[in-house]
Amino acid sequence: MPLNREEVEEIRSILGREPTIEELAMFEAQWSEHCSYKSSRRLLKLLPTTGRSVLIGPGRDAPAVEVFPGIAVVFKIESHNHPSAVDPYNGAATGIGGIVRDILTLGAKPIALLDMLYLGDPRDGRARWLVKGIVRGISDYGNRIGVPTVAGDAWFDSSFNTQPLVNVACVGIARTEELVRCRPASGDLILVIGNPTGRDGLLGSSFASKPLSDNPSEDIGAVQVADPLMEKMLIDSIAELVQRKLVKFIKDLGGGGLTTAVAEVAADFELGAELRLDELHLRTELTPLEILVSESQERMMIVISREKLEDVAAVLKKYDVPGSVVGFFDRSGRIRAYYKNGLVADVPARELAKPRDIKRSSKPPVELVKLLNPVGDLPEVPVSEALDSLLSSPNVASKRWIYEQYDHEVGVRTVLKPGFGDAAVLRLDDSRGIAVKGDANPRYTAIDPFNGAANSVAECYRNLVAVGSTPVAFVDEPNAGNPEKPEHFWYFEMIVKGIAWMASELGVPVVGGKVSFYNEDYRGRQVKPTATIVGVGAVEDVSKVKTMDLKYEGSAILVVGHTYPELGGSEYLARVHGIEAGGVPAPRPSSELRNASYVAKLIDRGVALSVHDVGLGGLAVAIAEMAILGGVGVELYLERVPCRGCSRLDEVLFSETQGRYVVEVRLEEVGGALEVASASGVTAAVIARTTGSKFFTARWGSTTVFEKGLDYLRELYEDGLRKYMV
Amino acid sequence: MPKIAILKFPGTNCDEDVLRSLKEVDSGVKAEIVWHKDFRVGGGWDAVIVPGGFSYGDWLRAGAIAARSRAMRELAEATTRGVPVLGICNGFQILVEAGLLKGAFLPNESGRFICRWVRLRIDNPKGPWLSLTRSGDELHMPVAHGEGRYYIEERDYESVVSSSPILRYLPSDNPNGSSYNIAGIGTEDGYVLGLMPHPERAVNSLLAPRGFKPGGEVIFKSVLHSLKPGW
Repeated sequence: MPLNREEVEEIRSILGREPTIEELAMFEAQWSEHCSYKSSRRLLKLLPTTGRSVLIGPGRDAPAVEVFPGIAVVFKIESHNHPSAVDPYNGAATGIGGIVRDILTLGAKPIALLDMLYLGDPRDGRARWLVKGIVRGISDYGNRIGVPTVAGDAWFDSSFNTQPLVNVACVGIARTEELVRCRPASGDLILVIGNPTGRDGLLGSSFASKPLSDNPSEDIGAVQVADPLMEKMLIDSIAELVQRKLVKFIKDLGGGGLTTAVAEVAADFELGAELRLDELHLRTELTPLEILVSESQERMMIVISREKLEDVAAVLKKYDVPGSVVGFFDRSGRIRAYYKNGLVADVPARELAKPRDIKRSSKPPVELVKLLNPVGDLPEVPVSEALDSLLSSPNVASKRWIYEQYDHEVGVRTVLKPGFGDAAVLRLDDSRGIAVKGDANPRYTAIDPFNGAANSVAECYRNLVAVGSTPVAFVDEPNAGNPEKPEHFWYFEMIVKGIAWMASELGVPVVGGKVSFYNEDYRGRQVKPTATIVGVGAVEDVSKVKTMDLKYEGSAILVVGHTYPELGGSEYLARVHGIEAGGVPAPRPSSELRNASYVAKLIDRGVALSVHDVGLGGLAVAIAEMAILGGVGVELYLERVPCRGCSRLDEVLFSETQGRYVVEVRLEEVGGALEVASASGVTAAVIARTTGSKFFTARWGSTTVFEKGLDYLRELYEDGLRKYMV
Repeated sequence: MPKIAILKFPGTNCDEDVLRSLKEVDSGVKAEIVWHKDFRVGGGWDAVIVPGGFSYGDWLRAGAIAARSRAMRELAEATTRGVPVLGICNGFQILVEAGLLKGAFLPNESGRFICRWVRLRIDNPKGPWLSLTRSGDELHMPVAHGEGRYYIEERDYESVVSSSPILRYLPSDNPNGSSYNIAGIGTEDGYVLGLMPHPERAVNSLLAPRGFKPGGEVIFKSVLHSLKPGW
């Protein structure tokens, strides 16, 4: 039981008596990390959450930002790491279900899903089973509810073999004035709509707030079962309820079930509630305790005025969505639950909803110092073979095997589709749109959580800029180990600080998010701590959006930003030299800002033909991807790459220095583009030209470093992940 | 102006897309999403589109439950009165399950859901949905399905191959192992047409990836053209 002795003692003193078993269960659910943020809240306050665009910050089921006057985007991230480790299909699917319902609570229409998956080594049998189940779970659920899965991130690492990280995000839109944000009042009815409640997912949030047991199948009762058809009916019926202004407030019945939903609303609005548990529609006979904390999926709480009940019932009937009136709000400040006329729980709402913060101690693990030491002299390896190895690395290679299983077209909005650009772009009306992307680099954050997390934020920012959008807001999901262990908690602390620092520097608020703890295997080893960032950008003119495939022969390729000798934590070091160490690339917020605004200018003026940010695998991989996708040859002149302190070829080719972009520009526009660069203090240089040949050639002066057929490279890139999955 | 019904079942998820795309093709179009419980043969509909999605969750077999619904009995009645019907993706599966079109569906050969753009070629264009196309025309649009492998007995195929409209994947583009590369098929007069790819996702070049043209537009233009008074 995750409630410890002090907590039980505290409950006794809150109630002034022995708690009933129902009350204990309610506290256990609500005081779990998952629901209460008791370990994390203190640190999360460091995040910059305000800004001109912010309509609703953290605190509700989802935040909202205004991307264009009158148009709100509601978006949120969630993890389903623990359930996905036990039952990958249902675990991942219900993750999608939960995050979509969070978006529905503000009355927004869900228009996009993202999945950020940090998965095991695809050569490992169990890991592969998890990968396939997770992807199929997302595919089956997302496709069925008609919300396109348009972007994300996928990473493969043996650290995640038994405990993958499944982070999913949903993006919705609404007219600002139509967002559902009324105050529930005393006397308003509480309805639970959707699936009948069953025994599945009992205390799932408290299961997610402890390590997995050594036999994961023992935990299977805590995983919920997915029903996407009911979710779709909830989407449709809530859309009609909202459009007809029949609801005052909506909340997801997620972690903690009915208890959490009612307690949080009551606490937030200084209300109490009276519940009649026997009124709830059930799948099977349940005890009052089970009714209070079941986490059966596809259920939502709606709060309505009494006089709207008839109209609401008619809408629910139209869509065949079951619902029941389970109680009403009052001014008592207490949650009182009755079962067959007997009072089974009577607890103060605020104390239930808001447990005291726990100050966790934090200390850097001793072995970390070794990781951060500079990497010694690396053996010389042929860079040509290294490039092959990087392009076929599942982390770099095409994610087609994943995204083709997702309907990424439904909604007829997906202007920039998966596989073509650094972010996805969805149109909102005839001209305007939004860009969305999710990013993390578990290797960086495992070596250096502060700088690694800052780099996640910067990477997401660059991806949004590269397609031609202006970043508006982020949501974040730190995935960390056991908060009770100071060496684990330290990573969480550093991740939050790194995110807060970089987001502040870039001037983009982090408007919400989620925290996932206890990501450790049964031996108590934490999986690579990971800082997942999802960002939304505004696109003024969707016809100007930039993909990354090279467009024409005879154009010039510009690199924006200096390259530093920063191989620490790189894909190259890991993949080619088997080393996961070294100082990670330094976050450089001021060059991020300067370079981004320059790239935005090139896009806006129509000078940029294709744009790609430099990320995993460095410059060589970025250019190779552009050539492969465009089917256009490239001649790269390495001596022209603006470097600071690089002494080796592999540093120029594979360093993962932040803040860089590669831009294809028409030859006749080069002069102008470089003038703008020098006028704004940006480092930009022509380093390559596109050719009519089907080769990617790199030269250093008169020496040919490598020359590779595009078909050969494409095969590596397309097959890198697929070959393990067939 | 003709009136087009877009028939929506529980789990249908492309209804709004079809509506939006019809309006993009002709802003004056009179089209309406009709909830299955409200659909009546006598509703004055000049054409009906059964859009994609996962009707009733597709749990039994794609389209099987919707095909046995009251709304589909009404729709079958409408076809006997010469109302043009287009089934897209799950709509196609429903029409086949309801016996309005020949064939059957199997899970994709790969065993996985597939979403990608494909190229189709038209044979024997006939009827209102293909009135502006010519035999041999190439149309591009995306597929998105898990059970899209169209299967037809050889004997049945022989009976329709030269008479009925057929949309075929280019052989290199067959995404699911469909027999004879069939992506779509119609009744002999072409009044009822079903296809797995999504024409409503291909009416605007903005949404077509590099190397593809929006090939769905002509299908909607065809029906609007054919339904014009005096046709």
